[in-house]
Amino acid sequence: MARFVLRRTAQSLVALLGVSIVVFALIHLVPGDPIRAALGTRFDPEVYELLRERSGLDQPLVVQYVDWLGRAVQGDLGVSFRSGAPVTTVLAARIPPTAVLAVASLVVGIVVAIPAGIIAAVRQGKAADYLATGFSQVGVSIPDFWYGIMLILIFSVTLGWLPPLGYTEFGEDPVDFARRLILPAVTAGVVTGAILTRFVRSSVLEALNADHVRLARAKGLPERYILRHHVLRNAWIPIVTVTGLQLGTLLGGIVIVEVVFAWPGLGRLALDAVERRDYPVLQGAVLFMAGAFLVINLLVDLLYAKLDPRIAVR
Amino acid sequence: MRLRSLTAVTAVIALMVAACDDGNGGVDLGDAGEDDPAIEDGTDDVDDEAEPAAEGGTLRAAIGGDPDQLDAHTTTSSFAFTVLENVYDTLVQPGEDLTMEPALAESWETSEDLLTWTFTLREGVTFHDGSELDAGDVVASFERIAEEGDNAFRLEAVEEFNAPDELTVELVLNRPAPNLLEQIGPFKGMAIAPAEAIEAGTMQDDPIGTGPFEFVSFSPGDSVTLERFDDYWGGDVALDGIEFQVVPDEGTKLTSLQTGEVDWIDSVPPEQVEELGADDQIELDQVAGNDYWYIALNQDREPFDDPAVRRAIAFALDIDVITEAARFDAATPNETAIPETSFWYHDYEPYGHDPDQARQLLEDAGVTDLTVDLMVTNEFPETVTFAQVMEAQLGEVGIDVQIRTEDFTTWLADQGDGEFDAFGLSWLGNIDPDDYYYAQHHSEGSFNFHGFADPETDELLDSARVETDEDDRKELYDQAAERIVDLASYIYLYNPDIVQAWSPDVQGYTTRPDQATRFVDTSLAS
Repeated sequence: MARFVLRRTAQSLVALLGVSIVVFALIHLVPGDPIRAALGTRFDPEVYELLRERSGLDQPLVVQYVDWLGRAVQGDLGVSFRSGAPVTTVLAARIPPTAVLAVASLVVGIVVAIPAGIIAAVRQGKAADYLATGFSQVGVSIPDFWYGIMLILIFSVTLGWLPPLGYTEFGEDPVDFARRLILPAVTAGVVTGAILTRFVRSSVLEALNADHVRLARAKGLPERYILRHHVLRNAWIPIVTVTGLQLGTLLGGIVIVEVVFAWPGLGRLALDAVERRDYPVLQGAVLFMAGAFLVINLLVDLLYAKLDPRIAVR
Repeated sequence: MRLRSLTAVTAVIALMVAACDDGNGGVDLGDAGEDDPAIEDGTDDVDDEAEPAAEGGTLRAAIGGDPDQLDAHTTTSSFAFTVLENVYDTLVQPGEDLTMEPALAESWETSEDLLTWTFTLREGVTFHDGSELDAGDVVASFERIAEEGDNAFRLEAVEEFNAPDELTVELVLNRPAPNLLEQIGPFKGMAIAPAEAIEAGTMQDDPIGTGPFEFVSFSPGDSVTLERFDDYWGGDVALDGIEFQVVPDEGTKLTSLQTGEVDWIDSVPPEQVEELGADDQIELDQVAGNDYWYIALNQDREPFDDPAVRRAIAFALDIDVITEAARFDAATPNETAIPETSFWYHDYEPYGHDPDQARQLLEDAGVTDLTVDLMVTNEFPETVTFAQVMEAQLGEVGIDVQIRTEDFTTWLADQGDGEFDAFGLSWLGNIDPDDYYYAQHHSEGSFNFHGFADPETDELLDSARVETDEDDRKELYDQAAERIVDLASYIYLYNPDIVQAWSPDVQGYTTRPDQATRFVDTSLAS
């Protein structure tokens, strides 16, 4: 078990290094540069050269990367070109809102998807199935900002129940925290739920048609018992995998939802960083997202063993 | 009968209130800089009797983007200035008619040769940290600004910053600068900060000014909180504080005002102006602004180096239609840069919309099959809109417009490298005509990206910049404007209105043409 974690961690670090190289190369390949963006239309060649030198952008790319990596392994991700603040500080401020929203959206998604998917599979071809697959279809095809706007119109403008924007820290005011979290979490949760519903349904269906389930039926076991002990146990594996991937995606920040609800998360940070070519912040944000993804994957793998004793972790 | 007398009484009260309001309009010293900037009485004329409403409360203000950082001397974010306007002061500041009035300096004098400016600071001004303002703070601030690059051009004419005594600041110039006040006054990039904070390098994390509100906290991407500064030199401030909330989505911003989630929003998209104007739950203020939008043609490239070709394009465009499409009713078409509300406005409209003239000019110039690579940016969607209208209008005279939409950073890079036939954009919030013309149209100008070079324009701009008689100066700028328009260095389009909106509970706030967002006289009805 310990060896497994160690090996996977080492693999993850190599993957992270790869990601950092690719991201570094990619963002420097995009036309436009951060100093020009910072100066805006008030461009002065002398100031430009001075600022380029000060930020180290006049160095060759390889030198810049090695420089960055050298400091990154010591926990120093550089400073933002836009604000001059350390990237670690910038990220630290944005991660909690994103994490809160990601977990809340995932909870909404799971609460919707698991019952909907199971019912759809069990009642395949019946009204409940059409309802669930219909929801799933609609859910993935309509863009999330539309739900966001609709929810704001209904719950903020018309009914006046919930605030349309903003983020409050839990420690500051738990009630306000919850009130502000509901609409964005439901918005992102609907899409997550729609995606998960399809997977739950197909996993359960597959398990339902497995030989051992048919055998259980032939033995005359009650349907409920079969579902719980023979079907769901086998269906969990793909569901957990996809749920993990979804959480990874959500942790990367849900740009559109963050913009619509003025949510101060990572997605907006990364978007701003791309627009302004704020390389250090972008690099840091992507690294965090990749890291989060790898950690979740590791946890999912560990969870497999718990769910299915046949899978041994070595 | 009773009803009528009641109405009369109400009317009288309304008049009294209105008069009172006028008195509360801040430091009103009228003519600063009008004829003779050398003499200025500058008494401390803050009207203490006009009492601010006592309700207090925290104003919740929505701003459209993240302030990035709050170091007044280095930030380039307009959102940062929306906040900092209330935290810092400058030596002088624009009044309602945009002439410079005393602020931290209560008076100033210039020497005979106009090369030495002496400012007398207001006594007893305290910074938010309790320390007292003195001349050393002003010198330290100006020296930092002159070094930090971004706003250094505003102090270009200043050779020396001296502090002969605690309350006197002396600026020694290398050339007469009749617009010095307009350089140091109109925006908080020229903020006066404590010398200790500048030395300690803490301006970014802890902005300490002398303004009506002091900085409390900044949560990037989310909000900035300010609270009332009780020792403010300008008298009592009604609000307890201001919370600026960052709301990037225009739709959400409007909704949050409509639902009462915020009290004030920093802008209203032009297409929403009409609808919001009809909503009696929202106060909408629309004033003619100082910005202007334009297109520039690359004069380092053929055939745009030929003034006749540029003029043909100007004749072919119908700026009324362009303005309507890009800004609905929230702008005024203008063939020159300076808006008609300004003292420096020059009524000059040589083009109109004349496609025949355009065709003739192109024919005479021997230009056929002309293609224009017009670069615009989705950062400012109205450039994309007006480019589409231009494509149609220029198509009518046989010019093929290729619209190229870039993200802003790429756009800026291409502009800097001269990679364009034409581009469209705007310049912001100017007051002095030198700011409108010099950097853009002087052959040595730092923002002359389109390669305009005309010795006569250079000469006019050089002499206008140092001309101290205001009327003579205006005459020179009128000539320069005509030259610039005739040679189509820029093709000017319109001056946009500034549109802001707030809840009816917000009192004592007005939208200003220079977009300064001052909440010093604002109060909230409960």
